[in-house]
Amino acid sequence: MEVQLIKIEKRNDVSRSIYFLTPVLAIFLTLFGGGIIFYILGFNPIEALKFFFITPISDLYGLSELLVKATPLCLIAIGLSFCFKSNNWNIGAEGQLIFGGIVGGGVALLFYNHEGFYVLPIIILSGAIGGMLFAMIPAILKTYFNTNEILVSLMLVYVAKLLLDYLVVGPWSNPEGFNFPETRQFSESARMSILFDGLRIHAGIFITLITVFLSWLILYKTYLGFQIKVSGLSLKTAKYAGYKGKTMIIIVFMISGACAGLAGVGEITGPIGQLHRNISPDYGFTAIIVAFLGRLNPVGIIFASLIVALTYLGAETAQIFLQVPKYTGQVFQGMILFFLLGSDYLLFFKIKFLGLKKNEL
Amino acid sequence: MNTKLKVSEISKIYPGCIANDKVSLEFGSGKIYALLGENGAGKSTLVKILSGVVKPDEGEVFLNDESIKLNSPLDAKKNNIGMVFQHFNLFETLSVFENLSIDSDKKDEDLRVLVNDILKKYNFKIDLDIPVLNLSAGQKQKVEIIRCLIRNPKVLIMDEPTSVLTEQETDDLFISLKQFSKDGILIIYITHKLKEVLSLCDEVAVMRKGKVVSVSKTIDEKIESLANKMVGENLNTIKKKINNFKNSEEILKISNLNFKSDDPYETNLNNLNLSLKKGECLGIAGISGNGQNELFQILSGEIITDGTSIMFRNKEIGKLNPRERREYLMAFSPEDRISQAAVPELKIYENVALNNFKSSNFFEKGLVNEKKIKEHSKKILSNFSVNTDNVELKSQFLSGGNLQKLIIGRELITSPELLVCFNPTWGLDVGAINYIHETLIQINEQGKSSILISTDNDELLKLSDRICVIYKGKLSKIMNADTVTAEKLGILMGGGSID
Repeated sequence: MEVQLIKIEKRNDVSRSIYFLTPVLAIFLTLFGGGIIFYILGFNPIEALKFFFITPISDLYGLSELLVKATPLCLIAIGLSFCFKSNNWNIGAEGQLIFGGIVGGGVALLFYNHEGFYVLPIIILSGAIGGMLFAMIPAILKTYFNTNEILVSLMLVYVAKLLLDYLVVGPWSNPEGFNFPETRQFSESARMSILFDGLRIHAGIFITLITVFLSWLILYKTYLGFQIKVSGLSLKTAKYAGYKGKTMIIIVFMISGACAGLAGVGEITGPIGQLHRNISPDYGFTAIIVAFLGRLNPVGIIFASLIVALTYLGAETAQIFLQVPKYTGQVFQGMILFFLLGSDYLLFFKIKFLGLKKNEL
Repeated sequence: MNTKLKVSEISKIYPGCIANDKVSLEFGSGKIYALLGENGAGKSTLVKILSGVVKPDEGEVFLNDESIKLNSPLDAKKNNIGMVFQHFNLFETLSVFENLSIDSDKKDEDLRVLVNDILKKYNFKIDLDIPVLNLSAGQKQKVEIIRCLIRNPKVLIMDEPTSVLTEQETDDLFISLKQFSKDGILIIYITHKLKEVLSLCDEVAVMRKGKVVSVSKTIDEKIESLANKMVGENLNTIKKKINNFKNSEEILKISNLNFKSDDPYETNLNNLNLSLKKGECLGIAGISGNGQNELFQILSGEIITDGTSIMFRNKEIGKLNPRERREYLMAFSPEDRISQAAVPELKIYENVALNNFKSSNFFEKGLVNEKKIKEHSKKILSNFSVNTDNVELKSQFLSGGNLQKLIIGRELITSPELLVCFNPTWGLDVGAINYIHETLIQINEQGKSSILISTDNDELLKLSDRICVIYKGKLSKIMNADTVTAEKLGILMGGGSID
C-alpha cells in the first residue's frame, strides 16, 4: 500500500491584515455552507439566505432588534477577551450572566415599589458585582486548588440556571402571578430607558460602548493589559518577569464576570423587565464565538457581535417564513466557529506533502 | 544468535554545528557498550540515526555486514533495533497491556502469552491490566523494554535510562540488562555517568564535539581517565585574572536550602550552601538535568522557597518574586532565551519592558509609557551592539546572538549588583560568544558579581573566579578556579569524588 506522507509545519510569520481578514472569509464560507444546507432542505439557497440575513434588518425595527441582541453579546465577549488573551478559559459566562441577573433582579424586586433616579444604578452595580463574584469561584479554585477552570466555570452555568429556576418558581415568584414561573414586573425606575419610541433598543448599549472603550484602554495602554498580553503569549515569561500570576487570573475572571453580569442585568432591566426562566438565549455561550470572531480585539468584537446577533434574528425570520426551526441560528453560529478555526489552522500552519511512500505495516 | 552492528563514517551536520563527524564504531553481541559524552557531544544524534529518527548526511549502517537503510523508526523496528528513550512514550490512561498491543501486529491472546513469558523469564513484576499512570518510573521503563523485547530485538539501545530511576531501580535495570546481554542481545548504553559505565559496560566509546575520541575496554579505564577523555583538556583559552576576594564584602549567601519537586522529571536540591563576594564570578558546572534549572529558578524567584535561606545584600529575599528581586538589584538571564527570556511575538521594546523597575518608569500610574520604553530600548540596542536600531521589530527576527545581546543588555543596563545567567552562550556563533564573555568579564571588573550556571566547561574555566559542580541536586565543594582542572570537573560531573 502506498501512502502520502504529510507533515504539518508552523508558519513563521503571518501578516496582520490576513489575520484580521480570515474572520471575514469564515463568514463567507458560513454563508456558502448555509446555502448548501438550505438547498438540501429543499429551499432556494439565495432566497433562504436573503430571509436569513437581509430581511431581518431591512427596517428600523429590525435594526433596533439587531442592536438589542448585539448589546449583551458584545459586552460579554469583551469581558471574555480579557480571560482568553491571558490563557484563562472562562466558558461559564452564561452562568455569570444569569447570576448577575439574579442579584440585580433581586435588588430590583426589593425596590419594586420605589421610584427614584438612584434605583437603576444600584441594580446595575449589584448585577455587575454578582457576575464578578460568580466568576471568582472558578478563578479561586484554579489558583488555590489547581482545578480546571473550563470544567468549573461550565458546571457553574447549570448551578446558576437551577438557582434561577428555583427562585422564580418559589420564593421570588409573583404573588399575583397565578403561579407562573416569573417574578413581579420591575418598577419604572428599575428599567433602562428606551431610546426611541416603539423600538426596544435601550440605554444598555451605552454601557456596552463605554465598556468597549475602557477595555481597549486597559488592554493596550496599561500595565495590567501588558501583563495580560505577556501571560497569554508565554506563561514562562510572565513567571520570569515576576508578574503575580494568581492575582492576574482572579482579576481577568473578575472583569469577565462583571461584564457578563452587566449583560444579564441589562437584559432584565431592558427588554425583559422581570426575572423568568429564560432570561438569556445562551448569550454567554455565543459570546465565546463573538470573542474569537472579533480576534479578541475590542473593535473586532463590535463587528463580530453585530454579525452573530444577525444569526439570532435570521433564525427567527427563517422560522416564520421558511418554517425551519429557530435552532438553525445555532447551526450558523457553529459553522462560523468551525470555519474560523479551520481557516486559522491553515493560517498558522502549512501542510507539506512529502511524496508517496511504501507502507509495509 | 550472533549480531554485529557497524556504523561507518557517519556524518550529520546541523546549521551551525557538526553533530556527528565521520563517526565509525563496531559493536558485537554478548557485550554491553557504553556511549559516553557530555551534552552536545553527538551521542543523541548517533542514537537517533540508529533508531531511524534522523537521517545521516553521509555514512552507512551495517547489520551483520549488510548495509541497512534507516529512513524511519519503522525501518529500525523491522531490522530488530529496539530503542528505549529517556522520556517514555506511553499512553498514561491506557493499561499496560493496551500500550503493548498498540504497536504489535500479534493477536491479543498470543501477545498476552508472549508478554507473560517475558515477565516470567526476566522476573519483572508488572500488573498488565492497570493503567500506566499508576506505575513508578522504573516500571514504566520496564513496559518500554518489554515493548522492545516483544519484537525479538537484536540490538537494544538505552538512552540515559537511569535519569529518572531510584538507586534500587537502577540496580534492577542493570541486572536485567546483563541478562539480555547473556541472551545475545547487543546493548548500547548511552550515558554521561561514569560510575555506571564502569559497573555495567564491557566497552566504552567516548564522544566529544561530534567525534569519537576513544574506544576502549572498561577494565582498562578508571573514573579519572574517562573524565579526561569526556571533557577534553583543551585549556588553551585565556583565563580571567583571578582576584583575591578575601576582604570583599559578601553579597549573596545561601544556607541549607532544600527544594523538593512534585514533578518526577525535575531534580530535588539538597542542602545547598554557597556564598558570593562583590565583584566575583561563581561558576556552577554540571551535566544538564542535575538541578541547574531548579537552582536558576530558585535564584530568580520563579520558585519561591522559605524566606530565610537566601540572603542578598543582608536582606532575606527568599520569598520575593523575580520582579521584587530586581528592585534589590538582581538580574537574570535564563537558559531559554527564545520562549522565556523574551517572547518572539513581541516587539523589541515590549520585550525590554519585561524587566520593569520602579525607577525605570515604564509604567507610570499603571499606564504604559511607550516613549520612555522605546528610548530605553534604543539605548540598549546601541550600547550592546545589537544588529538593529528598530525597536518596533518583532524579536523573532533577531538572530540568536543578537537576541542574547538584547537580553543581557536589558538585564545589565540597570547596573544590577548580581547577574545570574544560565548557559548564556548556547547555540551562538563564536563572535557572539566572545562578546557575551567580554561583557561578563567587564561587569566583574566594575565590581558587580555574577553567577554563571553553564554546561560548557571551557566557558566556566575562562570566566569564573570560583567553581563548583552540581550533581544530582547537590553542590560540590566550591573551589578556586586556578586549582580546578578539566579532569577534576569531569570527575565531579560524573558523580565521582576528589579529595
